Amino acid sequence: MPDFLYVHIPFCIKKCLYCDFLSVTYNESLAKAYTDALCKELILKKDIAGQLKTVYIGGGTPSILPEECFGQLFKCLKNNFKFSDLPEMTVEANPGTVDKSKIGAMFSIGVNRLSIGVQSFNDDELRTLGRIHTSKEAEDAVRIIKNSGIDNFSVDLIYGIPGQTLDSWRDTLSKAMEFSPNHISSYELTLEKGTPLYEMIKSEETNPPSPASVASRCDFAKGGMGGFLANIKMPDEELILEMYGYAIDHLRGKGYEHYEISNFARHGFRCIHNLNYWDGGEYVGAGAGAHSFIRGFRLKNTDDIRRYIKDLNKGITPEAESTEIKRDDAIKEFIFLNLRKTEGISLAKAEEFGLNLPGVCRELIEDGHLEMEGDYLRLTRKGIPISNTIIISLFERLGLD
Amino acid sequence: MSKNIRNFSIIAHIDHGKSTIADRLLEYTGALSAREMQAQVLDSMDLERERGITIKAHSVRLLYKADDRKEYILNLIDTPGHVDFSYEVSRSIASCEGALLVVDASQGVEAQTLANAYLAVEHDLEMIPVINKIDLPAAEPEKTKEQIEDAIGLDCSEAILASAKEGIGTKEILEAIVEKIPPPTGEDDKPLKALLFDSWFDNYQGVIVLVRVFDGTVRAGKKIKMMATGNIFEVAQVGIFSPKMQPSEKLSSGEVGYVIAGIKSVTDTRIGDTITDVDIPAQEPCPGYKDIKPMVFCGLYPTIPHEYDNLRDALNKLRLNDSSFNYEPETSFALGFGFRCGFLGLLHMEIIKERLEREFDLSLLSTAPTVVYRVTKTGGEVIHIENPALLPDKYEIIEEPFVLVTIFVPKDFIGPILDLCQEKRGVQKNFIFIGKDKIKVEYELPLNEILWDFYDRLKSISKGYASMDYEFLGFRESDLVKLNILINGEIVDALSLIVHKEKSYYKGRELTEKLRGIIPRQMYEVVIQATIGSKIIARESVRAMRKDVLAKCYGGDITRKRKLLEKQKEGKKRMKQIGRIELPQEAFLAVLKVK
Repeated sequence: MPDFLYVHIPFCIKKCLYCDFLSVTYNESLAKAYTDALCKELILKKDIAGQLKTVYIGGGTPSILPEECFGQLFKCLKNNFKFSDLPEMTVEANPGTVDKSKIGAMFSIGVNRLSIGVQSFNDDELRTLGRIHTSKEAEDAVRIIKNSGIDNFSVDLIYGIPGQTLDSWRDTLSKAMEFSPNHISSYELTLEKGTPLYEMIKSEETNPPSPASVASRCDFAKGGMGGFLANIKMPDEELILEMYGYAIDHLRGKGYEHYEISNFARHGFRCIHNLNYWDGGEYVGAGAGAHSFIRGFRLKNTDDIRRYIKDLNKGITPEAESTEIKRDDAIKEFIFLNLRKTEGISLAKAEEFGLNLPGVCRELIEDGHLEMEGDYLRLTRKGIPISNTIIISLFERLGLD
Repeated sequence: MSKNIRNFSIIAHIDHGKSTIADRLLEYTGALSAREMQAQVLDSMDLERERGITIKAHSVRLLYKADDRKEYILNLIDTPGHVDFSYEVSRSIASCEGALLVVDASQGVEAQTLANAYLAVEHDLEMIPVINKIDLPAAEPEKTKEQIEDAIGLDCSEAILASAKEGIGTKEILEAIVEKIPPPTGEDDKPLKALLFDSWFDNYQGVIVLVRVFDGTVRAGKKIKMMATGNIFEVAQVGIFSPKMQPSEKLSSGEVGYVIAGIKSVTDTRIGDTITDVDIPAQEPCPGYKDIKPMVFCGLYPTIPHEYDNLRDALNKLRLNDSSFNYEPETSFALGFGFRCGFLGLLHMEIIKERLEREFDLSLLSTAPTVVYRVTKTGGEVIHIENPALLPDKYEIIEEPFVLVTIFVPKDFIGPILDLCQEKRGVQKNFIFIGKDKIKVEYELPLNEILWDFYDRLKSISKGYASMDYEFLGFRESDLVKLNILINGEIVDALSLIVHKEKSYYKGRELTEKLRGIIPRQMYEVVIQATIGSKIIARESVRAMRKDVLAKCYGGDITRKRKLLEKQKEGKKRMKQIGRIELPQEAFLAVLKVK
């Protein structure tokens, strides 16, 4: 039985330009109706879950929910689910949506971990991303959380932002260090099709702007409208690699363990919830667009928030897509998920799948893309940046279609 | 009896309306009811209809009651409409006494019209000029007539003005066929002499051959002999196409029809061969038989190695119906097992490739097309090289095929066209005005030079107005060298080229540069070199890939990540693995992009 629960809150004040997660503009009445529906879904699913080790409330912007909705949600969780000792209870919080009272309320109902979507401490970069907050507001948010006495929080950052330099990335990292967070997520900006940022970059690539239009756009940006900066093109890959490399070296130097491609933590502060994904474990998801993995099936709730609420008001489980993970797919998942962890793939576990990994990846090891240590096979520093290519090469070598 | 027969074909440039005119004639004479008419009946292959060209010749018998109240048998012998099939055209023409020369009133005379009209003149055909598409606003019938008179020397005072689309002029055409084209002159009493001008394979009947009987008669039970190959068969059935297949008692002199004689494969039938009686053979065969050989070659390889058997079966099936292309198994270090295929020309190659992919659902990798080279080895032995990789290091003489290219072009575009011919090592042979504003130029060119982009460039330079045709002149000695391409130090045989020495450095540089643009970055650096002998003349490299997007795996959406990886892997499937490097299909055609 899955001991891990994900809850999706699909609301934001405004959607960021790069975001392709399920999220709509926040309004209070919809949020309340949604919380009611969410609680109904949780009750319907209560017997699927075991003793919960983690609850992860992600979004969207979960911290946008009014305190009373949090109260209702946590009451519902406590009344209907069993918990293991000291469960990890994470909420994603965005600067601009938290204050002292809300943070205090969250802790009082049992939240013990916060993941703060800072993304950058540089105002230009925040504008390019279309974030609702300034770097000052981000600092304030982290300070409030830090001062509230909680030690388990993560500062989430993004690198590879158009216009970002190695220096500005260093500044963002050292600013984050000032708050001495026990966890840092550092994600490369991914251009997702269909996002406004994607469209802006692509149109820039196809029609480079005339100097005049750049000038007028600069004026526009100075006027405070987010997003429309002149130099809207992705940093070149060498720079992105340098930023990534810098983060690894710098954070390691500060005593963080690089435990997953994009995640760093001080000893004892790894995110248990996310580790479960990379370990290939089961989990229950609740909320619109939420994913579950139960008894070999990956399920995804409907993305349609109104449909979701309607179904639950009728007392039925919301519509979901379901994919059975057959043997080949299970092996693929096992490989690509475990290789995200810097610890790598357990060869003993691979053998349980009938895989002879050392046999097929000799060349990749000789080239320095993979390395073996003890029972584990993992990506090297050289291999991590081209992990997709190496994973595909492994699939081929294992005869996986 | 044969006085009532008229054998004719239609000569026209692509799109000038040959098929539509044929349709109208069929309709008018009642060979097909309007309900049975499907546009362009004679072009039965889908591909032909799509491309608007006729690949295989067919024939159809029309019954026409003329104004003189007599009934005539009109045999329409269709001709392939492309230069690659000019020999087949010549055999169809040799089966006729007359031809309709169809010219689009808005386009005027084109190179193919001319080439085929010359063939008709050579065979003493009575030509009836038909100015088609007179309904179009841009039609200039008078100017078109003038061009025909200038270029072919054909009197156009009685040219028929027609619009096949609107049904204008159909009756006039039929009357002119009866009045102007002479009836056949053969004699039934002479020994059998029939010209084989087409053949194909039918799943139920075996090989069907189309013949024009010049002398004698042929009927079921008769033992026949193919004069060129010496093969002997017993006739099982004869008949005509009306256009449906209709058995008849016999085919007599002057008639056109089919013969079925237990022939297993079209390779046993040669277009242009003469069929005669085994016991009382004709003195001489029909003139003009040639053993035509493919001039253009390319390697065809399955993208997925286990499709090799399917490819062989597919080639075999296509060959049943098209004896003009051939294939031999070949092995490439780079591409594995495949076939070296020979074609009459580039269009022929395109058609076969397209049919293989479309009708047999194969995914093919093809090497750049090459001509056949004649090489005299040091000992005096002469070999033909169809694959540049196989050119020996040492030889006495290397010769390449030359062609005479005829280009028709409005005078405004002539300058750049002459430049193009110069660039392609052409030697001008003729330059004359046709009418006031068209020019005919003739150039001797190496076939190799017109293989790749010549036609496309001709078309683009002339905004589509130029047309061309070519005929084979023979092999001539040239200063040629082999250009090898090395990927990470290994020769990729499928990329080897034979090029003119003067152009070799340029080609080597261009080709490596093009390859650099085509080969995606991968886990390892890719070094691309061009060499002549042991000398490296160009080098480029594709840097090793440094990073993929480290997309997050977040919120438990694992399936999406898996699908992304699978998509990336799918993209690699279309690549060919060479050592540790993967080459995309376009790499093998990169040479086509080099000017």
